[in-house]
Amino acid sequence: MEIDSQFLKGSISLLLLNLLSRAEMYGYEILQEASRRSANAFEFKEGTLYPALHQLEKRGEIKSAWRTAENGRERKYYSLTAKGKKTAREYEKQWQHLTGAIASVLESK
Amino acid sequence: MYAAEELIDKIVNSSQIPSGKRRQEVQRELRSHIEDFMLAAREAGRDDDEIERLVLANFGDPEQIARGFAWVYRHERKMLRIFVFVLSTVVLASSLSATILAMQAGVAFGVGIPILNVLASRHTVIEALDILSSVAVYMAFTSLERLFDRQRFQKATCLLALILTPWCAAAGVHRAFLIFGFVNGVFFRAIQVFITRRMARIGIVVACFGLAGFVSAQLRSPVLHYAVAINCASWLVMGAGYELVTDLAARVEAALFNGLQRI
Repeated sequence: MEIDSQFLKGSISLLLLNLLSRAEMYGYEILQEASRRSANAFEFKEGTLYPALHQLEKRGEIKSAWRTAENGRERKYYSLTAKGKKTAREYEKQWQHLTGAIASVLESK
Repeated sequence: MYAAEELIDKIVNSSQIPSGKRRQEVQRELRSHIEDFMLAAREAGRDDDEIERLVLANFGDPEQIARGFAWVYRHERKMLRIFVFVLSTVVLASSLSATILAMQAGVAFGVGIPILNVLASRHTVIEALDILSSVAVYMAFTSLERLFDRQRFQKATCLLALILTPWCAAAGVHRAFLIFGFVNGVFFRAIQVFITRRMARIGIVVACFGLAGFVSAQLRSPVLHYAVAINCASWLVMGAGYELVTDLAARVEAALFNGLQRI
């Protein structure tokens, strides 16, 4: 099922922070991981990922570093900061609370 | 791949990121992403034409991505604008002060008045403050007008009046400089906005500043003929200097903004 881009916009920070809480990743890898974990449900336009990553970095929730991979390719790796870890936990709680509340409304008769 | 490079350039050039170093980094990052994508697509057995088509289709609208970056870096852009405003004001005001004082000294020398009378400290300070406030108001106009789509001049005038009112209240006896600067700045911006012909603008400046020089000379006693002529000449030199600033302001501001953006 295709997810509405506006609907996804609000949850992209949660998604990115959650993915980066598992391991440090570079942009292309983040997209691949999001797509894999969601069984291809998250297939947003690739370029739109970068402004979101830069915004999180500016807020001090993630940090980045250029590194050369084994195949000699240079990539910018992103990882969570202490502030980012705290925000990720907070967003997760809020998300569960919100989805629970919405599910209750949708299921109520 | 030409199309991918073009796509990256389009994003970076429209991103309004106010730092050359940061733009280069974004360019490098996007290029790295596309290279990863192409590598994976080649491994999946796709040909170059198909890969190029997929890159463009999957990457998204370059304008939308650029708008995303512009939003992320909006505060840095504002800070740069403020810095450019201050720097342009200082550069233009000091250049204008130096030019006007040199011209007035030349006029004084021509009619045999001691140059030190013109460059005497009180006169110099008053002149410099008048110029600084006028140039600052003019530059503020050009900055504030960017906030509006229609009736820019009128709205910027109201906004500037609102901003300057508390400053005038706080400035005490020195408020005269702010008021002079505001009136002067409004005058020069108004003739620049509403009068498109350069010669007509110059004519208005000559008439208004000549008259202001004549009136201010009449207020002094005793009224001496040569003093009236010198005063009128002095005011005309000032008017010419301000008119020159209105011509140069946009160019100086753009040069500073573009130059600082490259750093």
